[in-house]
Amino acid sequence: MKLLTHNLLSSHVRGVGPRGFPLRLQATEVRVNPVEFNPDFVARMIPKVEWAALLEAADTLHLAEVPRAPTEGYEHDEDFLRKMHHVLLEVEVLEGTLQCPESGRLFPISRGIPNMLLNDEETET
Amino acid sequence: MEINYQSNFKLNKTEKKFLRKQIKARHTLLRHEAQWKELGHQALPPGLTVVEEIISSEDEKMLLESINWTEDLDNQNFQKSLKHRRVKHFGYEFHYENNNVDKDKPLPEGLPDICDSFLEKWLAEGYIKCRPDQLTINQYEPGQGIPAHIDTHSAFEDEIISLSLGSEVVMDFKHPDGITVQVMLPRRSLLVMTGESRYLWTHGITPRKFDTVQASEDYKSGIITSDIGDLTLRKRGIRTSFTFRKVRHMPCTCNYSLVCNSQRKETPPSFPESDKEASQLEQEYVHQVYEEIAGHFSSTRHTPWPHIVAFLKALPDGSIVADIGCGNGKYLGINKEFYMIGCDRSKNLVDICRERQFQAFVCDALAVPVRSGSCDACISIAVIHHFATAERRVAALREIVRLLRPGGKALIYVWAMEQEHNNQKSKYLRENRISQEKKEEIKCDKSTQGLLEQKSDIGSQNSASSVLSIDYIQEKESSSKTVTNSELPIHTNRTSFHSQDVLVPWHLKTKTGKNKPVEPFGSVGSCDPSPVFHRYYHVFRDGELEATCQTLSNVIILQSYYDQGNWCIILQKAWVCYGATWS
Repeated sequence: MKLLTHNLLSSHVRGVGPRGFPLRLQATEVRVNPVEFNPDFVARMIPKVEWAALLEAADTLHLAEVPRAPTEGYEHDEDFLRKMHHVLLEVEVLEGTLQCPESGRLFPISRGIPNMLLNDEETET
Repeated sequence: MEINYQSNFKLNKTEKKFLRKQIKARHTLLRHEAQWKELGHQALPPGLTVVEEIISSEDEKMLLESINWTEDLDNQNFQKSLKHRRVKHFGYEFHYENNNVDKDKPLPEGLPDICDSFLEKWLAEGYIKCRPDQLTINQYEPGQGIPAHIDTHSAFEDEIISLSLGSEVVMDFKHPDGITVQVMLPRRSLLVMTGESRYLWTHGITPRKFDTVQASEDYKSGIITSDIGDLTLRKRGIRTSFTFRKVRHMPCTCNYSLVCNSQRKETPPSFPESDKEASQLEQEYVHQVYEEIAGHFSSTRHTPWPHIVAFLKALPDGSIVADIGCGNGKYLGINKEFYMIGCDRSKNLVDICRERQFQAFVCDALAVPVRSGSCDACISIAVIHHFATAERRVAALREIVRLLRPGGKALIYVWAMEQEHNNQKSKYLRENRISQEKKEEIKCDKSTQGLLEQKSDIGSQNSASSVLSIDYIQEKESSSKTVTNSELPIHTNRTSFHSQDVLVPWHLKTKTGKNKPVEPFGSVGSCDPSPVFHRYYHVFRDGELEATCQTLSNVIILQSYYDQGNWCIILQKAWVCYGATWS
């Protein structure tokens, strides 16, 4: 699971709504997977990123050199874009958990795949 | 946690990890089954015994060598290509389609002669009570297993015995209440199942290469407990079982009528009447099936469809796209300029996505764990037709729309009831190898007329009533039938649909090449154990998908079309959300 994916995920435990974001990340196995750098692509992702959630996740993983916010004219700032590229796309969480911040429910990440299935009681009204 | 090592077998990192996971999984299972308290009182399922070292090593070797697997090479190669366990039958032909024997066709050779002496001995020593007349030999390679099942009541008498040769294995027994017991079957042991263990508990072998076993006392048979300190991992070898049974000629009169096919007409699945029933139907006839057929299914889903590719390629660069019900990830890598995430209900299919380096996760389409308004586009191809009620289908659509940002687009594909459109047969029909003498027309009865007439109303803003109309029409349909229980019909593949709610067979076959029709095997006692799975579908009629979408207040239908036997729609999330009242 890449951090950009984590940035999109939100808890869907019934009744939680927007308070289910962001999911608290805990990782026991992380891998860095090199991905071809596409500056235009990264630049397009920047406005869609929820920054607080990204920083929280990056901090949990003890990632260094994570920009705290988009810089002025970031679209042309290669240094900034390369750093964001790394954080969003190259860091893969292979094993760990995602926790709903509201209900505490844990979702496992196994072999890079988050399992977000709820059981019947959790989905019933 | 301490793991006891066998002196000649060190666990490597992967194996230790596997062991930890297995133990963890078992703990979770036990917790959920509230079995912790009963741990101390665990016993074998009632009526079950394991007789250890019932034959000598020499006899074991002799029996294994006596099996002539090469008798019917075609069958063996076929089964090998399926990566199935090998099987051979004696005494009576066993049919896997209905898990029963053909009692009128005893196989001429009967049981092999070498078995006679063993059976005599076991009868004399009181290990078994009756003399069997049917034998099934199963050979399991490491990684192979057999799904949990109860041996058909009406097919065989009470006593079922199974001799384990070549390797031990852990067999799982499960009671309908959910209690599971794991029983170690050592080499050269005889498993005797009678009574409750034979009639009520299911038994099966998980397809895997290692078993978690008791470390102490090497070949002690019995239950594998959760005593962490006493567990170790053992690699499986090739195990051959000789299962002896006595064919039953009178109906079964056991005390377990709930699971007895003699006493209880097997209730086929019926049209669900509640959300809960719908969920159960989907669990059995969609989710479980996809988990079982994932690999084979994936191999038949390799060519992306042109219209879907076109939709994706037309999206702006830098789009975030979600594929709801992504299956094997067929569309996840189409455009490198997007960020695409996929989700599916089937863990096994999501695994395949991961193998392909895609971003995917497991979830239900009715509760997608993605924040609202975060996707520029969504696709959902051949997914919504698996939901068993109109409400659930609408709910799935609603979820997809929720994910879209205002102005975002969604592409939905569902299977069409009308497999012939504009006088052209769909690929699905055209690939029918069986030539049809008669051309079957889709029935156009009153209810269909009703729906078509309804279309003119559907354009109105009062969309809530159109959903009711569809339900009403469906209700009318079923009430007009003479049969009161609305049983789901089983569809014949590659023919026209005669009902909107159907079970469609999937024949699990070899992964290589196209589906071959299964040749009947003339040779002694061998049958193809490849299973048939039924998947539930609600096939959509012309206009139905549109009508369903129109019940959502915040979408605009951009395009609606027919593509190779599917009804398709492109939606756009409104820029402004309308409230409940219409101004």
